[in-house]
Amino acid sequence: MTTTESTQPVISEESLAVWNGRLTIRVKVAGAGPPLLYLHPAAGLAWDPFLTQMAEHYTVYAPEFPGTSVGNPYAIHAVDSLPDVVLIYEEVVRTLGLTAPVVVGQSFGGMLAAELAATFPTLPSALVLLDPIGLWREDMPVANWLTTPPDQLPALLFHNPANEAAQAMLAMPDDPDEAAAATAGMVWSMGATGKFAWPIPDRGLRRRLHRIAVPVLVVWGREDSLIPVGYVDEWQAELPDSRAVVIDDCGHIPQVEQTGETVAAVTEFLGQPRKVAP
Amino acid sequence: MKITLFEQAPYRYLPDDFEQHHESVCSTPYSLTTRDGVYSSVRDFLDELMHGARAGFDGVAVTEHGQSSYDMMPNPDLVASALAYMTETEGLDVAIYPMGRSLGKAREPLRVAEEYAFVDVVSGGRLVAGFPIGLHYDAAINNGIPPVEIRPRFDENLELILRAWSEEKPFPFNGRFSQYPQVNPWPRPLQGTPPVWITGLGNPRTMQMCFERNFGFNYLSWFGAKLTGQRIFDRFWELADKAGVERNPYRVGFLQTIAVAETDERAEKEYAEHLEYGFRKGLGSIPLEKLAIPGGIDIRGVQALAKDPSDFGLYLQMRGASFRELVDAGVVICGSPATVREQVGDFCRRYGIGNLHAMLNFGSLPRELTMRNIQLFAEEVAPSLRELWRDSGYTHYWWPERLGGKPTAPTEGGGATEGAVDTDTATRTAVHA
Repeated sequence: MTTTESTQPVISEESLAVWNGRLTIRVKVAGAGPPLLYLHPAAGLAWDPFLTQMAEHYTVYAPEFPGTSVGNPYAIHAVDSLPDVVLIYEEVVRTLGLTAPVVVGQSFGGMLAAELAATFPTLPSALVLLDPIGLWREDMPVANWLTTPPDQLPALLFHNPANEAAQAMLAMPDDPDEAAAATAGMVWSMGATGKFAWPIPDRGLRRRLHRIAVPVLVVWGREDSLIPVGYVDEWQAELPDSRAVVIDDCGHIPQVEQTGETVAAVTEFLGQPRKVAP
Repeated sequence: MKITLFEQAPYRYLPDDFEQHHESVCSTPYSLTTRDGVYSSVRDFLDELMHGARAGFDGVAVTEHGQSSYDMMPNPDLVASALAYMTETEGLDVAIYPMGRSLGKAREPLRVAEEYAFVDVVSGGRLVAGFPIGLHYDAAINNGIPPVEIRPRFDENLELILRAWSEEKPFPFNGRFSQYPQVNPWPRPLQGTPPVWITGLGNPRTMQMCFERNFGFNYLSWFGAKLTGQRIFDRFWELADKAGVERNPYRVGFLQTIAVAETDERAEKEYAEHLEYGFRKGLGSIPLEKLAIPGGIDIRGVQALAKDPSDFGLYLQMRGASFRELVDAGVVICGSPATVREQVGDFCRRYGIGNLHAMLNFGSLPRELTMRNIQLFAEEVAPSLRELWRDSGYTHYWWPERLGGKPTAPTEGGGATEGAVDTDTATRTAVHA
C-alpha cells in the first residue's frame, strides 16, 4: 500500500489482484467510517470535493475501471463482457472485505452500480446514482460522448462550463508532455469504458432493475445535456424503492457543478452514519 | 513495379457549398442525391475500372466504405465479383484487388472468407486479398463495433479466415467475437491462400505484424505523401531492419492520386476543380471525431498525436484546401506525363515502393476526363514506371502466381492489437510485444 498526501483527506492506494490473477485493480481509499464504494464515470477516476466530503463520514473506496489506470492500459483487453465486469467488481468488493457498502456511481459508474446491485441484491446497503447511463429511449437519445468534438465536451458535461469547479476539472497540465499524457489517458479511459456502452449505452439493464433490493437515490442535473433529466422517471418506474432529487442549474456532473446540493441530497438520503472514533 | 488502377465511387454531383454544411460520412443527407446522379456515379465507376483492366493495368483495386458520399462502396466484393467475371470473360490478366473487406468492422468473418474465395474462383486465381483494420467511423458507427474492439476483432477475424482457407478438415471455431460449430467453406480460393495485404495509416504494430506474418503493407497516402511519406516509410523500413526482413520493395504498396494531361497547364486547368471537390467534400469533410474515436487508437498513439499530429499531414486543413495546397502537400500529383513520371518515380525509388496504386478518379471528375486520365497514364506513364525494380533482384512474393508472382504462405506471428491478451480461444496470433 502506498500513501500520498492530498490537501485533505489522506488518499491511499491499493492494488488488488482479482479475476484469478489476470487483473490488477487499483483502488483509491480515503476517510473513515462505514464503507462507501464509488464507481467513476467514463473518463476515469478523478478525486473531487464530493468524495472528499463523503470521506468525512465514510471510508471511500474508489476502484479504477480496467484499462483506466495509469501504466496499465491494456487490462481492458482482459475483460470481455459486461457480466464479467459485474463479477470483477463483486470480487473487488469481496477482496476489500467490504460489508454492505453504500454504492455510489456517476454516469457510466451509475450503470455499473445498478448492474452490481441487480446481480448481487444483498451486496449494497444503499445505492446512489448520479445521472446514470444504462437506459435508452429513442425519443430521448443519450448523447454520444465518444464522438463529441473535444471543444464541445465542456458544454455537454456542464450547464455552466465557466463554473469554477468545472474549470478545475477540465484544467490540463501546462507542460506539453504531461498534457499529452493526460489527454491520452482520458481518451483511452473513454475507449475502455466505451467497450460496454458503445454504440448504444443500453445493455438490457431495464429488465434487471427490479432485482435491486435496497433503497436507491437518483440524483440528476436538470440541465443535463448528455442524458436528459426525463430519464429520472424511467429509472423510478423500474426501481422498487427509489427517491429522486433533481438539482437546478446543473448539468451531467452534479457532484462537481453543484457539490453542496449533491452532498446534502446524498447525506439526507443515507442518514447520519454512525460516529467513528478518530 | 506493379501498378493498379485504384478507384472510389464518389457521388459526383454534390452542391458547391457542401463542405460548409455537411459531413461526408454517416450523417450526410441522402436527399442531396438524385436517382440519375447515383446511377451514373456508380455505373461510370465500373466502366472506368474495366477501361483500366483493358488498358493494361496490373490490377484493379477498390476499398470499402459504408454510409459514405465519397465512396459509395459498402462491400468491395460486389465490385470485385463483377470485375472478376468481366475480365475473365475478356481474357484480361489483371489482379482483382479489393483492399478490401475491413476485418475490424466485419461481424460475419466467415462470409468474408467465402466471398473472397468465390471471387478468386471466378477470376481464375487472380485475387489479391486486402484486409484493412478499419476506419473508426466505418467500423464503430456504421457497424456498431466498440472502438477498442476494432483491432482485437481484426486479429480474430483474420485468423479465422486464414484457417478457413487453409485447413483441410472442417473445424469448430470458438472465438470471442464469433463462434461456428463447423467451418468448411465451399469453394476455397483457387490459389489456396491468396496474397494478403494489410492497409495501415502508420501504426508501428500494424507494420510489425506484416513483417512477422509475411503480409504486404499498403499505405494510402490521403494525407499528403510529401508531408507523411518520409515519416511513414522510414518507420516501415527501420522496423523491417529490426525484424530482420529484407527491404524488398514488393512488400509495400503506395496509393497516390494522380491527374495527367498533355501538359502541366492543361492538367491544372482540367483537373483542379475536381481535385478540390474530391478532397474538400471527401476526406476533408470527415470530422476528426469520427476518424479518431476514443479506444480506436492505441494510448501511446494518442499521446504521440497529441504532441505531434504530423502523421495526419494535410488532413486537418483539407476541408478548405486549394489545388495548390493539395499539390504542395503531395496529396495529388498533377501534370504532364513527364511530370508525373518523374515525381511518382522519384518517390517510389526513394522509399522503396514496389506496388503503386494509381487513383485516377476523384470527386466530380466526369467520365470522359477519367477515361482520358486512365488512358494517358496507361500509355505515357505506366510503361516506364513498370521498369522500376525490374533488375533489382527482388522477387514479388505477394502477387498471384497466375500473374507472375511467387506467392508464399502467411507465417505465424503477432497480431495488430497492442497489448492483446492471449485467451484460450482460437488465437494463434497472440502478441508477443
